[in-house]
Amino acid sequence: MSTVSNPPGSAPRKTSLLGEQERARLQRRKRVGQAFAAITFIPVILAIALILTLFADVIFDTLSWQVVEPNNSGQTFAWSEAPLGGLAVMRLELSAQGLSDSDIEAIISDPAELTRFRARNRIELMWHTDDGSMRWVVTNSRDDRLDYYGFFEGFGQFDRLAADLGPDQNIYLNPWLDFSFLTRNNSRTPVVAGIKTAIAGSLWVVGLIILFALPLGVGAALYLEEYAPKNTFTRFIEVNIRNLAGVPSIVYGILGLYLFVRLLNFGPTILSAAVTLSLLILPVVIIAAREAIRAVPSSLREASYGLGATKWQTVSQVVLPNAVAGITTGIILSVARAIGETAPLLLIGAAAFIPFLPEGPLSRYTVMPIQIYSWIAENDVEFYNVASAGIIVLLTILLLLYGLAFFVRRRFERNW
Amino acid sequence: MASSRTNAARTAGLDKRGNRNVKESAIGVILFICASVSILTTFAVVFVLAEETVQFFREVSILEFFTNPEWTPLFAEKNYGIAPLFAGTMLVTLIALVVGLPLGLGSAIYLSEFATQRVRRVVMPIIEILAGIPTVVLGYFALLFVTPILRSFVPGLNLFNALSAGLVMGFMILPTVSSLSIDAMQSVPRSLREAGYGLGASKFEVVTRVVVPAALSGIVASFILAMARAIGETMIVTLAAGQKPTLTFDPRETIATMTAFIVQAGTGDQPTGSLASRALYTVAATLFLITLLLNIAAQQIVARFQEKYE
Repeated sequence: MSTVSNPPGSAPRKTSLLGEQERARLQRRKRVGQAFAAITFIPVILAIALILTLFADVIFDTLSWQVVEPNNSGQTFAWSEAPLGGLAVMRLELSAQGLSDSDIEAIISDPAELTRFRARNRIELMWHTDDGSMRWVVTNSRDDRLDYYGFFEGFGQFDRLAADLGPDQNIYLNPWLDFSFLTRNNSRTPVVAGIKTAIAGSLWVVGLIILFALPLGVGAALYLEEYAPKNTFTRFIEVNIRNLAGVPSIVYGILGLYLFVRLLNFGPTILSAAVTLSLLILPVVIIAAREAIRAVPSSLREASYGLGATKWQTVSQVVLPNAVAGITTGIILSVARAIGETAPLLLIGAAAFIPFLPEGPLSRYTVMPIQIYSWIAENDVEFYNVASAGIIVLLTILLLLYGLAFFVRRRFERNW
Repeated sequence: MASSRTNAARTAGLDKRGNRNVKESAIGVILFICASVSILTTFAVVFVLAEETVQFFREVSILEFFTNPEWTPLFAEKNYGIAPLFAGTMLVTLIALVVGLPLGLGSAIYLSEFATQRVRRVVMPIIEILAGIPTVVLGYFALLFVTPILRSFVPGLNLFNALSAGLVMGFMILPTVSSLSIDAMQSVPRSLREAGYGLGASKFEVVTRVVVPAALSGIVASFILAMARAIGETMIVTLAAGQKPTLTFDPRETIATMTAFIVQAGTGDQPTGSLASRALYTVAATLFLITLLLNIAAQQIVARFQEKYE
């Protein structure tokens, strides 16, 4: 082809059969191809950059600088005085406030007093204080917080801030996410707000969801894959499930509000939330379970029938055990979705402020994303910090679940 | 063998088989009931939305609903025109699509056609993580990170604005577009690509003139499903775009989407049966219809136009 297009009389090339023009065109096509491949790589970089930026932003938002004038003792204690923190630091603080040993013991042995102390104070190990590094500080919600700086902002101005400090004032680097954040109830004061009740609420909701959605989802998948006759009605169910998967989550919230909260009178309880979210994730569970069941080769079923097993014996003892990895993965991913779901729960009455642990399915509740939403909605810089701490907790739990799903898929999935 | 059995043993065996049959069919029925839950859910959704919507339209004319340029059901002076909410939804969705479709398709082409196996194994889980980030987190990010940055170089940008919500939502729909498009491109048979190479086409030419056209139905379906997700998305717009219904196409403005209104009205205490509460259901019904139609359209496109290869 190329020899034909060579102009007659031109010297034959040893290295290539192509003429100048063709070679140039080939080069151009190659370059266009490379440029295109590079361009399609940009979205991948952008997506990864967005995830990293988001994580970094949220992590740095859990730190802030504050200029504080303590209202109580304002003393700091060396880390070696109370290596494990907790009650030991509390004793030191109370005695610094001038309480006698017997008073201190009385406070510590009374659970109500302890709760009150913890609701007002936060025990922090600070890497830098005026008295030296690595010292315990008991911050109090009634301390005067004079000035607030974001992490980078305060970092840049640290020298000026330190020079401008008045007597009895301190600069705190506030680590909003610490262990006590996980063990405190919510509060109207950002420094002592915690996520304990929300974690407990999420656990309750997730537990009930698994109870509802797992049998229903797997049952429906078994019916569609193993039992359903191929008729219009079956096709209707299938199309319907696909459409339900595309219904916006907030519409499920409306359904839950009308049907469970009001009509069935469950009220704004854990039960309402669990039922609503179960319906929400059911299509995803069914689709995942069907895929797992379909992946079990029919030769296994036939072998089972050949041994005289009934349909249910085959399904329960041959098909299900072989599909369990795929089903588990699907359930974990669906549960992860339910844990992060906010919009429907806003409608069915997850409350922003629940200062107690849920006691049962008919208890009022809050969950992690609702708690985070309500902190953001407070529209206050310190509550933004609290929200970011909550986000880290939520994202950590979700990442663990994704990791678990990934592990189950890798470890237990069989290739036939 | 059967002849050596006594009659009694035979009857017992038959009884056992009879019990087994009863059990077998009972299980079939139970599983059928499980599958029917999804149908009941659909009926319940349609019934709840329809009932309240019909009540709503007894008091507000359909004409007003579609033509009144204001939506103020929670104010003293009430107006029931869906236009501002619809415009708000469309504005954010449009921005999200402008960002999300090219990014999603681009990453799909890269991951399906150009990436090595190793790169794919690393990158695809990361994109799945993007899909798994709760939208309340994305809303936080839009409000507290993206908006402040945008405000430093977009003059007149409101604290709550459609632009930053739309941008972040674009990344939210990226994984939807990406994973569905990858599926579509992966199902283009190898023989087709090889025919392309056999004709002397470069990789770029095979991708853009063979693979993408052959997978077009799946790609378009992924676009439509991504659009449906963007329209139904709630938390990003509630947090970052605001709750002020405005009939505008200026992305710097504070707006309210249909979903943001549902949250606003649903979290306030609207007495059951009040017009404001019914307005909530009516907006939800509109949202449901739009997303349902988009979903059906996506399925139809795949069913009708998907190239079948034997």
